[in-house]
Parts: sequence; structure tokens; C-alpha cells
Amino acid sequence: MIEPLKTVPISFKVNGRPVSLEVGAGETALHAIRERLQLTGAKEGCGIGECGACTILVNAKAVNACLMLAAQMDGTSIRTVEGLAGGGSIHPLQKAFLDHHAVQCGFCTPGLLMSAAALLKEHPCPDRRTIADGLSGNLCRCTGYRQIFQAVEAVAQGEKEKTQ
Amino acid sequence: MRSDVRYVRPSSLGEAVGFLSDHGPETKPLAGGTDLLISIRSGELKARYVMDVNRIPELKGIAMTGEGLSIGAGTTIAEIASSETVKRLAPVLRKSCLSFGSPQVRNAATIGGNIANASPSADTFPPLIVHETIAVLSGPDGERRIPVEEAAAGPYKSNVGSRELIVRFILKPSEGRFFEFLKIGRRKTLAIARVSMAVLAEKDMRGAVGFIRFCLGSSTPVPCRIVEVEDFLTGKILNEAVVAEGGRLAAEKMIEISGRRSTTVYKEPAVKGLFNRLLYPMVKND
Repeated sequence: MIEPLKTVPISFKVNGRPVSLEVGAGETALHAIRERLQLTGAKEGCGIGECGACTILVNAKAVNACLMLAAQMDGTSIRTVEGLAGGGSIHPLQKAFLDHHAVQCGFCTPGLLMSAAALLKEHPCPDRRTIADGLSGNLCRCTGYRQIFQAVEAVAQGEKEKTQ
Repeated sequence: MRSDVRYVRPSSLGEAVGFLSDHGPETKPLAGGTDLLISIRSGELKARYVMDVNRIPELKGIAMTGEGLSIGAGTTIAEIASSETVKRLAPVLRKSCLSFGSPQVRNAATIGGNIANASPSADTFPPLIVHETIAVLSGPDGERRIPVEEAAAGPYKSNVGSRELIVRFILKPSEGRFFEFLKIGRRKTLAIARVSMAVLAEKDMRGAVGFIRFCLGSSTPVPCRIVEVEDFLTGKILNEAVVAEGGRLAAEKMIEISGRRSTTVYKEPAVKGLFNRLLYPMVKND
């Protein structure tokens, strides 16, 4: 694509489903996901990559969707919080967040869930410090981190028991 | 969000440099986007074209070559942090990458973008400088090589020309030496460093400093190697008094370069203190 474009045709996968879109050259990935695909789980908190409320997985890696152009999604596989649940049941992380009261206002929750999902994929049994590092790009201003860490630990513990 | 900008995505270095030779002054390269997207959002970006350099194979990869340790400009900070080659041959760079930004930022940001953005606080600058790194640039007239400390002209002012692209960095590998990278920020994650430092050092047969490279970051307009500190410590057996004097010299040099500013009241003791922490393990190990 050496021809400069004002409107960019892109094709990619969202939560396993192939989509094709025309996006603006200066449009963010977060804007396209929320406004064009109506997947409003990812939130715009700060818009400058500090709060992590917009965290999505791009090719299985957690990134800030506010710091990515929509055009960069071309050819990638995107996962949003809407893609966590499957087969009629919520994801173990979602269940653990409920069980451990890790949600208060809920604004940071979709981003935290995606960071936690990426963390557990890389470290299935993380210690408390690894969890804190893995979630350090996500700010929560009301629930408090203790319950969130406990929820992630509970899922990791479940994984450990499964493998034993 | 801007509606008048145009997006272009070259798939080879040749295409990228070709586009830049025609439109360089109106173009901003987009690597990880963690700095650029902020200026797109705020409307500060004046460029007509955004050139996405993320799909250029020539900018990728980490390899030990005949010239040294080669790291592609498009390598992400997370890729550097998890590289076994970097862990062995440039552990001080790895350490700076482990505490860079946040996990999300590390997955997107690239080392080339960090240097091209020319922030005085760029975390990868001090480690690259102590490794006496050469930046390889590609432009309409072919390849140009510059020492990495010359890549920044001033705060957020790059010496990389508008028709040039950083292709890769060549580091002098350093295996088995003492190394450290430390920074002070307002919090651990996502804080812009207020003071940062990198060191590579080695003791000689009698336990004195036989080799040392020291770089100060976030305290001068451009991160810089401080030869006065290196010269003072070379040949000396490190004890607490010698390290304290090294820290005093580093702070003195910072004030000489940056002038006395409102932040100096904080930064002068911070540089001294961080310098002590940086080299204390070399004292303790005797």
C-alpha cells in the first residue's frame, strides 16, 4: 500500500469473526471498534495510553486501542472483552471478578480482564508480583486492586489444581 | 482525531525510503504509535502523511553479526525484553525494557521510535549509549551511520532527517560485565523518568575499575555519556567515598550542561543518590 489513502479498506478478525471496514486514515482502532463495530466494551478513559481502559488483544498481545490506528488492524486478529465469554457461559476470569467483588463502577473492568487474560496466557500460575506487573498498565480508581488481584489469583489457582 | 491526514503503508525499506525521498518533510513515520497517536489525537501533528513502518521486514529482528549486536529499529520493547540474545549480550538494555512504560506500551512501542522521538527521558537511550551503539539510517543517498548519542539534537528534536529512516542499531556486545539501569519516576509503571542512569563496568586484576561506561538520562537536553565520571573512576578501587565523589561529579556535570533550573534543587541530590545506588553493588562485592 504505497498509495496514500484518506480512507483505508481493512479486513481483520474480531473475536474470531472476519470483518471488512473502511476507516479514516487518522481514526483510532478504539474508535472503529466502538463506533463502527458497536463493540463498546473497550472504553476510552484517558485517550493517551495511561489508564488501560481500552486494552484489547492484537494477535494475542495486550495493547492500548487508543494508541493504535484503525488501519493498523488490517490483517490482524483482534480480541475484545465481548469475545471472552463463549459457549453460553462467562469466562473464568469474569466469574472470578464477580465472586471476588473486583468490580465497582466497572469502567476499568473490560481492560483489566483483557490484561489479565493476556497475563494468564503467558504465565498460567503467576505470583502476586507477576500479577501486579501484568496489570500495571490498567488503572482502577474505585474498586481497589486487592480484590482484582485476588480474582486473578483464584483463576490461576484453579489452573494449578487442574494440572495437578 | 484528524480527517485530513493520509495513511501509507510501505512493505519494504525501498518503498519507504522512496516515499520519504518524495514526501519526507510532510511525512511522519508511525512505528509503535505510543507517542505519535497522542499528537494525532491532540491535533498537534501537522504532517500530511502518516507512514506505517510496521510491515517492513528490514526493520525487524535481533542478531549477533560480524559488526556487533544488531537490533532492528522496528523491534518492540517487549521483544527486546524477552530476547535471550539481548539478555546475554546487552542485559542493561533488557533491564531498561522490562520497566519501560506498561505491558501494553511495551507490546507496541519500538526501539527505533523511542530514539527517533528524541525525548530526554527515553528509557532505551542510556543503555544504547553505554553500548557505544551506532544507528544505521537509510535515506535517498543510501546508508548513513551515526553514534546513537548524535541521534537527538535536543529535547524531541531528532537528527534523523525527514527523508531518512532508522533501520537498525549496532551495539558493542558486553557479556559478563557489571551492568545496571535505574530510573526514578513518580510511580513504577508509565511514569516518565525524572532521572535515569545506565552503567557498564568491569574490575581489573587488582580489583580497580578497568572499564566503565556511564550515561545520564532525563537530566540533560539529550541523554549523554559523562566521560569525566568514567575517567575519575577508572583505575580506582571503589569504596563509598569514591562512589560518592563520582555522584558529585555526575551532578556537577548535569548542572554544567543543563544550567541551574527550578528542578535542580531536586535533581542534584537525586543524581547523587541514584549514582550511589547504581554503583554500590560494586563496592559491596569486595
